[in-house]
Amino acid sequence: MTASAPVAVTGGGVVSPIGNDLAAFAETLFAGRSALHSQTLDLPGIDPPAAAVASATFDASRVMAPSRVPLDRGTAMALVAASDAARAAGLVAGGYEPERLGIFWGSGMAGAATFETTCRTVYAERRRMRPTSVVTTMPNAPAAELALLFGARGAALSYACACASSAVAIGEAMRAIRAGWIDVAIAGGSESMLTPGVLASWQAMRVLAPVQGADAAAACRPFSADRTGFALGEAAAAFVLESQAHAKRRGAKARWHLTGYATNCDGLHITNPDAAGQARAMRAALADAGLDAGAIGHVNAHGTATAAGDAAEAESIARVFGAHGVPVSATKAIHGHLLGAGGAVELLAALLALEARRLPPTAHTQRIDPAFALDLVMGESRESPALTHALSSSFAFGGTNAVLVASRAVPA
Amino acid sequence: MNPSTFEAIASVLVDQFHVEAAKATPETTLEQLGLDSLALMEFVFAMEDRFDVRIPEENLDPRQAGINLGHLAQLLEDAVASRPARDVATG
Repeated sequence: MTASAPVAVTGGGVVSPIGNDLAAFAETLFAGRSALHSQTLDLPGIDPPAAAVASATFDASRVMAPSRVPLDRGTAMALVAASDAARAAGLVAGGYEPERLGIFWGSGMAGAATFETTCRTVYAERRRMRPTSVVTTMPNAPAAELALLFGARGAALSYACACASSAVAIGEAMRAIRAGWIDVAIAGGSESMLTPGVLASWQAMRVLAPVQGADAAAACRPFSADRTGFALGEAAAAFVLESQAHAKRRGAKARWHLTGYATNCDGLHITNPDAAGQARAMRAALADAGLDAGAIGHVNAHGTATAAGDAAEAESIARVFGAHGVPVSATKAIHGHLLGAGGAVELLAALLALEARRLPPTAHTQRIDPAFALDLVMGESRESPALTHALSSSFAFGGTNAVLVASRAVPA
Repeated sequence: MNPSTFEAIASVLVDQFHVEAAKATPETTLEQLGLDSLALMEFVFAMEDRFDVRIPEENLDPRQAGINLGHLAQLLEDAVASRPARDVATG
């Protein structure tokens, strides 16, 4: 396999606020139906006392940990999403060499929710720490449990780069497959931390959209003139990535191809995004895919709906694609900011758009910020009959930028 | 052995540790549960918290995997019986 060869995506799985299987996810995505709702924060001295969140309908108690130790909710989501992806890809034990299978997983603060809950119990109820506190809450717990689930022997790597974590995990899995280190990977990300302490931490940064009574569902309005920030969500998304030769050998069909990836960093500011760094990352990912900007028919933007974030991204997209040069969607409006899981879930949105040749709307944005020269898909989904290649961006606090380029498996 | 003590043990094993219900009998040894030493420790902690007791370590070392669930139930009941009385009014 050459350094720039397309990597086959043979299966995907998801647990998310907008659906727990790909069909339900796609239906909600294209309808632009928001899962955001208001949640009261049970914390002393909190103001305002509520935040918009996007929670998944998911019963973690039904998920068995391969290790048999208690699972963080995010890890439980990871196990379900990855099992579904493997089932969709027909990847079963005996169908791969364990030494050639790697786990590449992203999470921003894996285990934070369980750690918070544990500490509340210890302080408030004078309980003991549990013997499994470390292995349940360590940031690499999802990758470790996934490695146990699949009996992986090739790699179990965890990436923590805030909102770019799972985009980086997927991209690094691509690199490992292209380089021939492994043949097949379970790659993706998970995050579940809708706990009072974590929500309050984000609220204190003043990046969360205020909840306006009954309008909590429409709280997040990316690229809108009246945007006020994002809402946190919880999710996991997983993919089976493999070399085309490996997929062919085991008779698996590529549903999509990953064709380009790049990551870089700004090195300028802990939170402020940098349009120049973003543009460099997008151009590098296009070069990796061997595509000109003109070949890209859809950008699934990072689109956090913060004042500074959207301004930088509108500028970087216009620099790379020209003013109004490419249709752009921002799906955080309906599934929330999924942090470490965001890159994987948003890649899934881009893949489903590629497959349907239909672009999801940026829900709730009625009037784009007049300063932005973007072709933003608003209102309803838009047909895109010639769509062949798409780009999904993740730009993180801490300055990590990650861009993935995906292509239809069967060229038009 | 009080049946409700054993029922509590069995429900924690089935619900939290995904042990098959048929496997949770008084005769089942800790070793036969298929849990490793860390998960066994977690299980003993969970039972102690459920009954608000501590089983003295000299009576139960989870690494002594030959102990069966009936024995564990008895140890829990002994610990409950020797628990210091509490002031009900203040909890």
